[in-house]
Amino acid sequence: MPLAMTFKVLVVDDQLTMREVTRLALQEMGVRQIIDAENGDDAFKKATTQPLDMIISDFNMPGMDGLGLLRAVRGHPAVRKLPFILVTGRGDNALVVSAAQAGVNNYIVKPFTAEMLREKVEAVVGKLS
Amino acid sequence: MASSGLEQLKITFFEECNELLQSLEGGLADIREGTSNEDTVHAIFRAVHSIKGGAGVFGFSELIEFAHVFETVMDEVRKGNLATVPDVVDVLLRANDTLADLVEMARKGEAVEKGYGSDSRHALEMLLSGGDEGGKKAQPGAAKEETEEFSFVPVKFGDFADDPPVEQLRTYSIVFRPKPDVLKKAIDPGFLLNVLKSMGKLDLVADTAGIPPLSALEHDGFHISWSGTLETTSSRQEIESIFAPVAADCEFTLTDLTPGAATAAPAAEAAPPPPAAAPVAAAPAPVAAAEPAAASRPQEAAPMLPPAQDAPANGKEARGAAKQPSSVTIRVELEKIDRVVNMVGELVIAQAMLQQVIDELPEHTGAKISNILSDLVRHTRGLKDSVMAIRAQPVSSVFQRMPRLVRELSAKTGKKVQIEMVGETTEVDKTIIERLSDPLTHIIRNSIDHGIETPADRLAKGKREEGTIRMSADQRGGRIVIEIGDDGGGINCEKVLKKAREKGLVDPNAVMTDDEICNLIFLPGFSTADTVSDISGRGVGMDVVRRNIQDLGGRTTIKSEFGHGTIIQLALPLTLAVMDGLVVEVAHQTYVLPIPNIVECLRPGEDEIHRVIGAAGALNLRGDIVPLIHLADVLGVDQAADDRKNGVVIITESSDGTRMGLIVDELLGHQQVVIKSIEENCGTVQGIAGATILGDGHVAFILDVEMLSSMTSMDGRNPPPAAVADTAMNAARLN
Repeated sequence: MPLAMTFKVLVVDDQLTMREVTRLALQEMGVRQIIDAENGDDAFKKATTQPLDMIISDFNMPGMDGLGLLRAVRGHPAVRKLPFILVTGRGDNALVVSAAQAGVNNYIVKPFTAEMLREKVEAVVGKLS
Repeated sequence: MASSGLEQLKITFFEECNELLQSLEGGLADIREGTSNEDTVHAIFRAVHSIKGGAGVFGFSELIEFAHVFETVMDEVRKGNLATVPDVVDVLLRANDTLADLVEMARKGEAVEKGYGSDSRHALEMLLSGGDEGGKKAQPGAAKEETEEFSFVPVKFGDFADDPPVEQLRTYSIVFRPKPDVLKKAIDPGFLLNVLKSMGKLDLVADTAGIPPLSALEHDGFHISWSGTLETTSSRQEIESIFAPVAADCEFTLTDLTPGAATAAPAAEAAPPPPAAAPVAAAPAPVAAAEPAAASRPQEAAPMLPPAQDAPANGKEARGAAKQPSSVTIRVELEKIDRVVNMVGELVIAQAMLQQVIDELPEHTGAKISNILSDLVRHTRGLKDSVMAIRAQPVSSVFQRMPRLVRELSAKTGKKVQIEMVGETTEVDKTIIERLSDPLTHIIRNSIDHGIETPADRLAKGKREEGTIRMSADQRGGRIVIEIGDDGGGINCEKVLKKAREKGLVDPNAVMTDDEICNLIFLPGFSTADTVSDISGRGVGMDVVRRNIQDLGGRTTIKSEFGHGTIIQLALPLTLAVMDGLVVEVAHQTYVLPIPNIVECLRPGEDEIHRVIGAAGALNLRGDIVPLIHLADVLGVDQAADDRKNGVVIITESSDGTRMGLIVDELLGHQQVVIKSIEENCGTVQGIAGATILGDGHVAFILDVEMLSSMTSMDGRNPPPAAVADTAMNAARLN
């Protein structure tokens, strides 16, 4: 069975447009289980109360931002190994360094295509289909 | 990505842009007024960033480029490298306007003119280079691709080092009792147990005593709890942190049984759990219900362990059961809601017709059905209110556009103007909001162009240099009242009257009050400005404003004090479609009065009516004198004198608080009515707000109490002849 069939992703972004873009891209990759959260706090609660295979989170959000979410996830015994992809804007070098130090698995720069996202996701978890 | 999906997303993006632009505008206004804080700056940065991000998806390159520069500047503000001094704020405000324009162009699919917004962009870049044009410029082009070249090795799943060894092995007693509705909240107890299991040796017993009999079992209820021990090197905080997010939905107690632990009094003698502990039983275990008391003591519970089950598999199964809660809001096309509104309207009519039929039934049968019908009536009303609440939107969506207008106009006229807004959260039907923008824009243009004086004039008059426009929205008695006031020169009544006479708009000999004179500016073709400017146009303004508001079933009033300012008040209905009405009869014709305008109905005795004031007299209503008016007179309906004796008086109140007593022949009942516009067929008729279809299929006019009140106060008791003619004619035609 292809990995995509059972793969469950949490998409975190405060902007509906970006959540939907990511959802569409994931659906195109065959991922069927996609849940989302509008902010870091909600995402953290969702991530720590149900089984997940990956978090794809935007960096810039009100309240807990993507880096904060990453650190919270890495600091939580239940989910600290959960694959985490950070979505960044252009020119956010310093952020990528911080994220790498905090244990991010990969990052992707907005705007991205479904194919770009697939590469990033598969670099972390292997072939989806 | 599927292109139809993208098209749909585009709509979402522009909707979201509107919200973002609003928060941007609001944030910048706060900064300007000095009421901002760190969060405001962050919110502005995020708004620009989000617009840029979304624009990137659809490839709106001009928008992306501009947003990028704007974002870079906001980043500097955010980091404290750039102070929000007035000059900087001005640049930001202009950038905001440019951004809004670019979004609008992208929305309409227009090509962006070459060099559009380059002034604004240049100003932003100047901020980045510290004002030194020759100095280092912001180089969005150079910065943008850096990340792509940045070397980053993706971290493969499982690449993380295993947990570092921790000094001491500890034993905890655990009780974990999820509440019955955990599954509905997308919490998977099996997952939590698996996490516990991964921390060390977990030894749990499931308590299935709470599971109801099969007949009472709901598919999403949860009735199992666990107790037992965990032997782990993890700290208490680490274990507790797993359950912290679900604290409200699960009961979790943790007791340290390790010898020497402060909290473990009875546990000192506790035998360590069996070394070969079974994995977690995450599913209802086929085991006799463990007594809760026994289960809470781990050393006793341990031997009762159920057969091992494949916990990970259960974890997977539980995923399906835990339904994901969707987002708290959904976006629906307005058209779909309108369809519901129309259906509700039809339902209201059908219900009224049903009532009519039931009334004609024999009393025994009728009463039974009537009871059921009254439930239906209540539900229909609830349905109507709910639908209307969906359509309601805060007026802020239109108010927010005004600060920009004020900025642009004050720059154009060289006047200094600030805008204050109150009550932006007041909610009004979306259709009304959409049609408010033009009238409000026009009023504000007028205020700035003709009302507010130049800074020099203001100082000479002893006023503050900066003029103020104050907008407020408020719900009063079933209406929304919007006021736009300025502290400018006010209306020069003498000049207005002179002009009106010159243009032949009023009788040269008419004696008019100041308020009446002020209202003359709403007459078509009236313009008092000495010079016609390109801002307010050529005097076609205020009558259009009034007509727009009238089209919405609203009323415009103006109050002005020469030298001190003008207030224009717009009173609007909450909704356009359905309303509660009182059905009355006058001279064998049926009319509907809007319930929100009615204070009370009574049948006064002869001695309570004072014949001295006005033609129909005045009523002493518990000390208040309320003028009485025969509705037949106002509407110009012929009525025999003897019919008038036993009339019912309906006390009405208009939004400015004026009361009057309308005398009608009979009250026919209370009914929800669907408002149908008569304007297309009959034109504007004074005193008539619309028409409706009654239960018996007849058409009845809905009266506009506000207008009736002003019609009667304008000249005692006689209505304007035009209204009489129109109404009588239309009444004849429609009835």
